Amino acid sequence: MGKKALWKISTAGLVLIPVAVGINYVGKTLASLLKLPLWLDSIGTVLGSMLAGPVIGAISGMINNIIYGFTLDPVSTVYFITSLAIGLVVGILSYRGWLKSFPRVLGLGLIVGVVSSIVSTPLNIIYWEGLTGNFWGDALFAYVIHLNAPLWLASFLDSIVVDVPDKLLTVLIGYFIYIGLPKNIKQLFADDEIEEL
Amino acid sequence: MNGMGLYEERNTWVHRSDPVTKLFYGITVSAIPYILPYMGVAAFFLCLNILLLVLAKVFKKILPILFLSFFLMLSIVIVHGIFHPDNRTPLFSAGGIHFYREGLSLAALLIIRLLNMICGFGVVVLTTKPDLLVNGLVQTGLSPRIGYVIHSVFRIIPQMAATVNKIKDAQRARGVETEGNLLTRAKALFPLLVPVIMSSLIATKERTMALELRGFGSKGKRTFLKEYEEGRYSRQARWFFLLLLFGSAVWRVLI
Repeated sequence: MGKKALWKISTAGLVLIPVAVGINYVGKTLASLLKLPLWLDSIGTVLGSMLAGPVIGAISGMINNIIYGFTLDPVSTVYFITSLAIGLVVGILSYRGWLKSFPRVLGLGLIVGVVSSIVSTPLNIIYWEGLTGNFWGDALFAYVIHLNAPLWLASFLDSIVVDVPDKLLTVLIGYFIYIGLPKNIKQLFADDEIEEL
Repeated sequence: MNGMGLYEERNTWVHRSDPVTKLFYGITVSAIPYILPYMGVAAFFLCLNILLLVLAKVFKKILPILFLSFFLMLSIVIVHGIFHPDNRTPLFSAGGIHFYREGLSLAALLIIRLLNMICGFGVVVLTTKPDLLVNGLVQTGLSPRIGYVIHSVFRIIPQMAATVNKIKDAQRARGVETEGNLLTRAKALFPLLVPVIMSSLIATKERTMALELRGFGSKGKRTFLKEYEEGRYSRQARWFFLLLLFGSAVWRVLI
């Protein structure tokens, strides 16, 4: 992808956003249907970033949370910043070649998990004094607080315990789908010489 | 077409109010209890929101939404009630575990604020048709392309949900197990996820071209099928909410 195309908002990119949000929704539904202990609600954001760059990915993430907030669960709106960050990180690192080898993809997954936790922690602290609403995470939080650790650490660990496995798997799924896509789809977003009206 | 969303059709003054102004209201009343973290403030806005929900005859509909956050609220009470570092005065005990007053009063504030946020959003979401809200936003200044994107999401999600069901049935007919232990269920993820995602992405190309042909990216002035009329006091109301928000931030900084 050319450097110019990285920050461009093309029609193809805008059309991709609802699809990305839809994919996020599908992931979330399947995780819940199959009763898997993960969120899996960022696959679309990640895939959108891999295909169309950080700006489209970030917007997808933000719109995703805002729309969920309006139609399913108002609490989601609070985390739109996290989704935005995920979109930016995946987009920028994909551009820098982090999708070129499998170990790097694993690294990307871990980085996204950590960034996601770092961004969510202040939100969790402001809104619910550090909790996340996830059973395992909150149990760990209680234990760490019991050991007199500082709030930010307890909250950060609370997030990490769920976010790192979840984002790692999300990035892997996104990656495998990305490499399996037909070339003409990838071209849609990559080439900044498409004629537009 | 109902599609996605929590909108409930009723004919009350709340429903008929200007959607963009309602949005200003929702954001303002959800944010103020976080800017001014006092129980009185949170309780006041919660009561106001409940009153509006009742007046809009949608109160019963907020209950399932509140229920979604039940576990979070339970966690707040338990973890902060028992483990908060400021805990000093025991309030009661259950099965040998002490719940402390400091943690519980913090938990109460957090929960009232959460309930208030959900109800505040409820006032907006249960009484506003998403189409009208997006329409209003676009005619107030939001980029029409973003308006398209938001509108498109509302259409796409029910479509994708239907596709997921179709693919689930098709794959189950081909022998994919969706029930059983964790490993079995995890193995079902790919055969279900991949076809849905691939087909959606492939459709993107055609959609893009269709939009381009209809002048999607054009910078000219647009006309609208449904003209958006601002409510009579919309301007004043919106300034009022903005002032409230700004005022509470100032108060917080000064006090």
